[in-house]
Amino acid sequence: MNGRTLLSILTAKAVLSLSKFLFKGGSSFPGKVALAMDPSVLFHVAKGIPVILITGTNGKTTTANLLAQVLVKEGYRVIHNATGANMYPGITASFIDAFRFREKKKADFAVIEVDEANVKFITQVLEPKAMAITNLFRDQLDRYGEVYTTLHKILEGVDLTKETLLVLNGDESLLGALSQENPKRYFGFSVFEEGGKELDQNADAKFCKVCQGPYAYDFVTYNHLGKFYCPHCGYKRPSLDVSVDALLETTPSSSTFVLDNERVTLPQGGLYNIYNALCAYTLARELGIDKKRILSSFSVQESAFGRQEVLQMDQKEVHIFLVKNPAGYNQALDTVLLTKEAVTYAFLLNDQYADGRDVSWIFDVQFENLQGAVSGPLFIGGDRRYDMAVRLQTAGLDPEQFHVLDTYEAFTKALQKMATEKIYIFATYTAMLGYRKHLHKLGYIKKLW
Amino acid sequence: MELTICHLYPDLLNSYGDLGNILILKDRMKRRGFSVKVVDVSLGDAFVKEDYDIVFFGGGQDYEQSIVAKDLTGEKKEALRAYVEEGKVLLAICGGYQLLGKYYSTPTGEKLPGLSILDLYTEAGDTRFIGNTIIYNEALEEYYVGFENHSGRTYIGDLSPLGKVLVGYGNNGQDGYEGCVYKNTYCSYFHGSLLSKNPELSDRLLTTALSLKYGPVTLSPLKDYYEHMAKKELRKRYEK
Repeated sequence: MNGRTLLSILTAKAVLSLSKFLFKGGSSFPGKVALAMDPSVLFHVAKGIPVILITGTNGKTTTANLLAQVLVKEGYRVIHNATGANMYPGITASFIDAFRFREKKKADFAVIEVDEANVKFITQVLEPKAMAITNLFRDQLDRYGEVYTTLHKILEGVDLTKETLLVLNGDESLLGALSQENPKRYFGFSVFEEGGKELDQNADAKFCKVCQGPYAYDFVTYNHLGKFYCPHCGYKRPSLDVSVDALLETTPSSSTFVLDNERVTLPQGGLYNIYNALCAYTLARELGIDKKRILSSFSVQESAFGRQEVLQMDQKEVHIFLVKNPAGYNQALDTVLLTKEAVTYAFLLNDQYADGRDVSWIFDVQFENLQGAVSGPLFIGGDRRYDMAVRLQTAGLDPEQFHVLDTYEAFTKALQKMATEKIYIFATYTAMLGYRKHLHKLGYIKKLW
Repeated sequence: MELTICHLYPDLLNSYGDLGNILILKDRMKRRGFSVKVVDVSLGDAFVKEDYDIVFFGGGQDYEQSIVAKDLTGEKKEALRAYVEEGKVLLAICGGYQLLGKYYSTPTGEKLPGLSILDLYTEAGDTRFIGNTIIYNEALEEYYVGFENHSGRTYIGDLSPLGKVLVGYGNNGQDGYEGCVYKNTYCSYFHGSLLSKNPELSDRLLTTALSLKYGPVTLSPLKDYYEHMAKKELRKRYEK
């Protein structure tokens, strides 16, 4: 390590502690400072540490959290970008933060979620031990364009690796038949009795990546995920190395299923969380962790922040669902619709960069499914609250019941007046951050990050 | 009264919430006590122009759009051309807009033939035009807001634009216009969905389609409070 690297690390550490003090949270700024001073700094601080990368459209944060928790319970020292700072500078900052000059012993593992377009910046510098790709949905369209572009960006990063084990969602039709020769493990559902054979018209990747013919399905789990095959050219779902073999019970806040011959209950609802668990399980097994110990860690997993997080607001139980794209939003709605009791629904829609500047995507979310399930008032907030109101009105919900509120203060006050015990809030990324900050100020959230 | 909306390639052209335009037209009819039937016309299906009162032609990802271009040929293309020439109502967004023209060239330099139904063409640009957009239609004295996201630069020649760009890029970032109107065919780069914040335009499409079918029709006004507030907020944010 030369003086330049050393200075870069020291400066970044100083900025890190300052920014933690000032902003009480993570930021990619210290990483930017470090990279400006020494573009090779990540290479030095990550040297010798086995890195596990997790990328894909949805589920990165939750999957990384599941895996990191398993490894920590095993007694390993783990570097983890837990606050979701998943671009190159943020990841660099996570490594610098964990870097100790005096200790000979480095971290045992780094569990890193990485933005799809940033994979190649990481793999330019280091060869990960394993890399997982969760799924590919249309997301923040104004940034990357389309699922094929996103896939291409990820694979550009994969191309810079040789030995990195790829852990892939086998039910994701875009991830089969990859030309990359890396070793691969596929995970998915071996059976799914609840699933239909038809794709929703608005699903994301419906035409064969090999021959352009329409796919057929033995079953669809959600969006375009499932046991697919192409009747025209024969391309089909790869055989699975790890699978969910039975789905026993699903509620809004838990799922019980059989994974690798073991019964497991996940304390989070939603099919998407089962996929996250499958992905994290496959990774953990590859790292040599005992099957039962992985699953017992899953069964006490806490939610990643803002991801189906539950918090107490006086007498009310507030569930916050982070929603970023149609696939994730539909899954969140499907999950809450399993609820039998009366609940209050609330929606926060922002259009800042991290939310996606274009709010058009809300018209690809099936709010129509809320018809009949929703009777009482609906609460709507965020920068684009009126767009959200138009969307819900178009979905056939009664506009007389809408309460469109322009501040978080008004939003919280209105929610507190509701009679239901449970409140479900669907929030886009910056709305989730902003609203959590507001709840923190009121004392309902202890730890902001 | 009833309208039939033809949704062209809904399984292929479904990006950026454009489906919302159909949902909105349906909802505006329903709130007035009228009904709407939506007919999907996709790969291998015939386009029967007599059956439709409004045609919606959305945009898709490049991969899917190339599949559509191969299917829209021969009789199907001619039927669509005749539909447009007869002055029936069509709304085309983004990729659908480009496909109606003579050609569009891709970023890789490939020149893909369009349907040549409208006298316009699209050249690839090296940057994407992305952002909230506001335009003004002088003849109608109406403002339209939406979100554009395209790398194609469209040149509409002598056709009328949908509006003059106040905020954003528009068709090509040069001539200051957005969209295009030919007879009762409306083209735009606006997502948003386009009709979600522009109820004047929604009702113009509906009134025209109903009048062509039933003779002169005046629609009862709707409240449109949220639509106008959504538009107002955007104008407040961007207009100086």
